[in-house]
Amino acid sequence: MAAAGFTGGVAEALILGLSTGPVCLAACGPAVTPWLLTQPRGVRQHTWQLALFLAARLAAYLVFACLVWAAGSALLRAWSGRSWVTGAVDLLLALVLVFYAAGWRGFHWRLWRPKQELVRIGESPRLLRGGALALGFLTGVNLCPPFVVAGVQAAGLESLTRALLFFLLFFVGTSVWFVPFVLLGFLRRSENLLLVARITAVLLACWYGYFGVSILLERILYD
Amino acid sequence: MTSASQTVTRPAAMRGVCRSLLLTLPIALWTALMFSRVFLMPGRAMHIAAVVAAVFTVFLFFKMMQTGETHRWRRWFFAAVGWIFPVGFIASLIQLRGSMDIPIERMIGGDTPFCFMVTPMLMIPAALGKTLIFPGSILPTASNPHSIAVMIGLWLALSIVLGKGWCAYGCFFGGIEEGFAAFAKRPRIRKFDPRLRMIPWAVLLFVVLLSAAIYEPVYCMWLCPFKAVTEFPAVRSVETALQFVVFVALFAGLVVVLPFLTKKRTQCAFFCPFGAFQSIFNKVNIFEIRVNREKCKDCNVCSTVCPTQAISRESAKEGGALMNCMKCGACVDACKSKAAVWHIKGTGVDVKPERARLMFLYGAWAVATMFGGSILANGIATILHFMHVS
Repeated sequence: MAAAGFTGGVAEALILGLSTGPVCLAACGPAVTPWLLTQPRGVRQHTWQLALFLAARLAAYLVFACLVWAAGSALLRAWSGRSWVTGAVDLLLALVLVFYAAGWRGFHWRLWRPKQELVRIGESPRLLRGGALALGFLTGVNLCPPFVVAGVQAAGLESLTRALLFFLLFFVGTSVWFVPFVLLGFLRRSENLLLVARITAVLLACWYGYFGVSILLERILYD
Repeated sequence: MTSASQTVTRPAAMRGVCRSLLLTLPIALWTALMFSRVFLMPGRAMHIAAVVAAVFTVFLFFKMMQTGETHRWRRWFFAAVGWIFPVGFIASLIQLRGSMDIPIERMIGGDTPFCFMVTPMLMIPAALGKTLIFPGSILPTASNPHSIAVMIGLWLALSIVLGKGWCAYGCFFGGIEEGFAAFAKRPRIRKFDPRLRMIPWAVLLFVVLLSAAIYEPVYCMWLCPFKAVTEFPAVRSVETALQFVVFVALFAGLVVVLPFLTKKRTQCAFFCPFGAFQSIFNKVNIFEIRVNREKCKDCNVCSTVCPTQAISRESAKEGGALMNCMKCGACVDACKSKAAVWHIKGTGVDVKPERARLMFLYGAWAVATMFGGSILANGIATILHFMHVS
């Protein structure tokens, strides 16, 4: 009986992840696409970057699983708390995108600089890893609807282990949908493509920044 | 001597006029077909407007045939359509709703006419979520024959036939800035960073990705400069007020002030995401502008006159325009050495360019008449109504 319940839970988490994966893909696409396009060409390179991104995302999922299991689903149902998190995460996402779009290094903005310098930004391994991990974690804790549904389910489970397992399988289900991002590695890198990716990242940073500030302002004014 | 040369040139000129008339005949018939529906409508104003619009359209095509120039005459038509479009559109909005703003509940209810600009934003949500993020009916209904499916089908067919030529012959929004660009005698700003050409691609990527993330046509809600002269979400909150400010600022900057200062279509060249999307169709379209390297004197006049910066010194050296060429013909008209030519892919660069031009123009002008003709007629009829001609 317990085994059947366990199997049912596994299936539920996987199916939830697989079925809501397109929403995750669409929600994370704006942050991931321009960032991946600024990376050097190559499927292997992109696979590695995406693996780092997903690892950070998994870490965010597991931290979140611990939190909701300890605090219960009331944490998710309280809109005020959720919107503080969403606002803060959006602002941080905006900062990360601007950081990588402009190529902040040695306190110089290089969005509009000659090509050699633009290309060089993507070659620093530390910055590459940092970008993947920061974006993975921030998009991971962004409270999109499938994530909240998974959180509510996990909060009701009897043990922390099962909550973590639920989120792990949910993560596996959603991650399948991220595989196509590797294909961006096939695109020929040119100065024009880098520029497009960077301008897109700045535009998206403006959007996330606006959204984050408006949510936080709303909370400050009405709480 | 004089009389002898006159006797030689007069018949030649007559032959030229007759040839031009003959070449105009198919377009004249097409125009008559397009306007026949308008003649069935009641009201003297509409009939007068239809005659004026039809004569104007056919006359311009005749001049294209007679002079061999394209851009000069196309620009008259395009600017007229662009400038008159808001007149008819705003008048019908005022008549229907009493104002240009539309409450959000009516937008969601599908009262907004489908705009071709939305097309690239629809694709990812439709593929991933089987959802159309623009309110309206997919299939035609009695009350709305211009359904989403019909409009997308039409746009796809026209894009294959014209490529990015849509932006020079079909897009009535582009006509507004073309009109403002034509006003200035000479440009006050002449130099552009070539990297500005990449901004429309970035805006396209931005609106496509974000529309998929938030299930909303982001361009229409936030970035469309033409909302300022068509319809916009009713201002009821800080957010809608901000949207309105963005629309007006983009319209004033990119469609009015910068075209006047640069004599370029700055919104089309440096912002429009739909234009970038249309550029992709230039890859499948058979018509293009080429530069015959044997005749080219590297004077760079083609690049200077191009309204959308779609030909550069480098691309001319490589023998053609860039991917974002909208085939307006400005470079061909301006090239004194006849190096810039109309061309059909797969043929030699010097193979009957005039025939390539003619083949392209028949399709392009038919589209221009189909879209612009009724806009012109409606606009003129509205003006006549204001003048109490009914």
